[in-house]
Amino acid sequence: MKWLQSRRNNRLIPALLLIVVLVLLFPQRSEAYAGPGAGFAVLSSFWTIFVAFLYSFYALMTWPIRQLLRMFRRRRAYGKAQVKRVVIVGFDGMDPELASRFMGEGKLPNLAKLRDSGTFRPLRTTFPAISPVAWSTFQTGVNPGKHNIYDFLARDLKNYLPYLSSAQISEPKRHLKIGKYSLPLGKSDVKGLRKGTPFWHWLGKAGVFCSVIRVPVTFPPEKFPGVLLSGMCVPDLKGSQGTFCFCTTRASEGRFREGGVRIPIERNGAGFHSYIPGPENPLGTGSELRADFKLRPDTKRGQARIEIDSETFTIKVGEYSEWIPVKFKAGMGFTARGICRFYLKEVSPEVEVYVTPVNIDPGHPDLPISHPVTYSIYLAKLFGPYATLGLAEDTWALNEEVLDDQAFLAQAYGNHEDRERMFFDALEKTPQGLCACVFDTTDRVQHMFWRYLDKDHPAVRDVPQDQKPRVIQELYDRMDTLVGRVMQQIDDQALLLVISDHGFRSFNRCMNLNAWLHQNGYLVLKDGKSESGDWFEDVDWSRTRAYTMGLNGLYLNIKGREREGIVEAGAEAEALKEDLRGKLDGLVDPASGKIGITGMFDCDAVYAGPYVDNAPDLIVGYGEGFRASWDSVMGKVTTAIFEDNLKAWSGDHCVDPRLVPGVLFSNRKIAIEKPAIVDVAPTVMKLFGLELPAYFDGKPWAVGAAGVKV
Amino acid sequence: MASSSIPPGFTLFDFAANIPLLWVFAISIVIGFLMVIVFRYASDQKAIGRAKDRLKAHLLAVRLFQDQLPVVMRAYGKILRGTGSYLRLAFTPFLIAILPITFMIVQLDRYFGWMPLQPAQAFLVEARVEDPATLDQASLQLPPELSSSAPAVHVPKEKAVVWRVVAGRTGNYDIRITAAGQTVSKQVVVAPGLARVSPVRLKDHFWERIFTSGEPALADNSPVQSIAINYLPREISFAWTQWNWIALFFVVSLIAGFIFKSALGIQV
Repeated sequence: MKWLQSRRNNRLIPALLLIVVLVLLFPQRSEAYAGPGAGFAVLSSFWTIFVAFLYSFYALMTWPIRQLLRMFRRRRAYGKAQVKRVVIVGFDGMDPELASRFMGEGKLPNLAKLRDSGTFRPLRTTFPAISPVAWSTFQTGVNPGKHNIYDFLARDLKNYLPYLSSAQISEPKRHLKIGKYSLPLGKSDVKGLRKGTPFWHWLGKAGVFCSVIRVPVTFPPEKFPGVLLSGMCVPDLKGSQGTFCFCTTRASEGRFREGGVRIPIERNGAGFHSYIPGPENPLGTGSELRADFKLRPDTKRGQARIEIDSETFTIKVGEYSEWIPVKFKAGMGFTARGICRFYLKEVSPEVEVYVTPVNIDPGHPDLPISHPVTYSIYLAKLFGPYATLGLAEDTWALNEEVLDDQAFLAQAYGNHEDRERMFFDALEKTPQGLCACVFDTTDRVQHMFWRYLDKDHPAVRDVPQDQKPRVIQELYDRMDTLVGRVMQQIDDQALLLVISDHGFRSFNRCMNLNAWLHQNGYLVLKDGKSESGDWFEDVDWSRTRAYTMGLNGLYLNIKGREREGIVEAGAEAEALKEDLRGKLDGLVDPASGKIGITGMFDCDAVYAGPYVDNAPDLIVGYGEGFRASWDSVMGKVTTAIFEDNLKAWSGDHCVDPRLVPGVLFSNRKIAIEKPAIVDVAPTVMKLFGLELPAYFDGKPWAVGAAGVKV
Repeated sequence: MASSSIPPGFTLFDFAANIPLLWVFAISIVIGFLMVIVFRYASDQKAIGRAKDRLKAHLLAVRLFQDQLPVVMRAYGKILRGTGSYLRLAFTPFLIAILPITFMIVQLDRYFGWMPLQPAQAFLVEARVEDPATLDQASLQLPPELSSSAPAVHVPKEKAVVWRVVAGRTGNYDIRITAAGQTVSKQVVVAPGLARVSPVRLKDHFWERIFTSGEPALADNSPVQSIAINYLPREISFAWTQWNWIALFFVVSLIAGFIFKSALGIQV
């Protein structure tokens, strides 16, 4: 029936049009209604106009009251405001040294304009220099001791196991037992663990409209007068921080270290079938939900047709599909909805498909990912489905070589383009107030492609320097273009801040601090063991005094705090800290001769606030080129302390925070020598004329007046 | 309407088949389904989906950014433009469907639009002639099952003559009218329940004939312009109210269409 849509058959339309005209010229009651087709068209369009009319009516009727309230609030909000609008463009991980270098080479013209006419400074980051920590400080204006985020992970004192530090998703408390099913009564409870109040809440209360897009650690979204789309820390449909699926006909090559699962593809006649693993069945059967799909390869054309639910689509080898809706049916009418993209790796001789983590569908969110809930739906309707997962760029898949460089970049920039569209829409919708957006492509791409920037990186030793792609240069160019577009859309009345939470350094040597603690008698394994499994399996806690988990935290096994703690709080703990600091600060990597740790920071010295007790006892500041090994992060004790990093994940920032400040660019002069990310919240609030809460740790900057046209 | 006296051999199916409500429901559901299928293949589904999504987005924008007056006004503008785009996309399938649907409705209207005559029911036969001078010679010939109950009434101003006739028993009959030496006939239907009824026989008036008459045209040289029977319009009882069948068809086919489009995942 495609002929119906063909332009070549458009002669049909005039003929039909003629008939319609004739019918209308001779109206009789029977043809007055020309069937449901006309009914659909008329009803749907008039429904829209009707709803719009209703909204208008409501808006009109309530307008005087709202206008009065607005006037009152705006007088408070904008009466003392020095700016009409503040636009914050966050580039996660943009490095000031690299930015300077590229600007020095004549690149990044827009950022160079900001530097020359406004401000460019390194921006002091947090201890540790990790995105959830730094962006939490950015939004709350306080140190981690007051917002309670010290890493991606925190440890459960009862069992030494990790949990996500930013949010906790728990099952509904009440269930109804029906046969083999346990029917949940109510929804899952999503609890934010970040403390403190984001500064846009203060602004919103004062009548300043705020649009906030993908700032990390804003999941679950909190209610405030504005719109917000959550970013980093939003889970996938499985509840993880991103679990990709690699479907293959090749015999299993074991499990992935983290972040993905391998699923067999099985032949079924001329085609194949496989499945995407989903969340656990909410009906309490203990089974994992699955979404089956069929695949029919076309080896001649190098493509495959995939059928999943009611969707059928064709993709070529080396191509991504659009976002495909996926339903996981649990039974009794329970369905979990998500979206994912397929990437066809191979159709011959084997068949291999990579499937992104199943993202929460922004058009039908099973968990709240925006405030109001309709905001994510609005964006999905306006621009189509988009990645909602906090860490949407699948670094694990590249690390595990399931994706190659090009496939990873295509995914990352695809997501980035979606976010640019959202951001510029928010900018248009916020002519007055705050518009803030964090782009994390900068972080992911630098993590994965620093190896091409570092001529000595062990992961690409064999690649000649002149053949290394200029991925990071291109990344900075793209971000500069984005800044240029923002500059075109704002006027002198707006303050533009381009900031990053931290910078970047090469990561070419891994350090397993748990191994060091083990070899130096601070961490003891059970008798006969020389290595442990993940998450301290085989650790003898009754003889362990210190351990490390996550990226930069070192914990003492404190009596009365940890379940099997043995170190007395107070003098003994202080002495142990001093001992560890003395031995670890300046620790040299025997193979390279470089300093592996350049700073050990006592939590009491760097944090202050009601949640300091949850902080690691010591923050480890790794030296340039070093970082915690993946095993160490996951609480595993190995025999080697130092080893080469051969992964694509080749750049990092989880080092001594003094080595990796972020950037601060602005279109206005800012009179401060050493700005810090903690100062952003008080600065913006002061610019809008708001009183600053006494508990703020940041200090407002002296921002120059408008008039300097950048 | 079903006959009050049930003839021998009259089955439940016959009973159901004579209930117009059931027919209208059945036809509406089938047409609703077919229309959705036609819409599916005759339209650019992706474009319609996108247009509808954008419309919804602009509606949400009005709500989300209600305090930003310029934003709200721009959203209204986009809603109007979006509605135009949607209607443009829906126009092609609408055009494709209108022809068969229109003629089908015309045909169905012969059955559902009018009530056939009942035995013992009096009705009027009105003939209009070209030349008022021929009115006096106009005569009506009836089959034995029909009988005239009053003398003819002449209305020269309207070039019309009217006879009052009573139906005797059920059946399809031809009545004949002679004027200016020529005889023309007209079908009369006396039946319980549903029957195909033509309320008028016409000369010329092509479009009117297509839409209202179920009989061949009168000859071009016929002195008679039209012959009409005053069948009563049919009304169908449903939901405590009387419906014209087209109104009921409109409602039921739309509901069926919306149900089928949701079940089949078709953008309408």
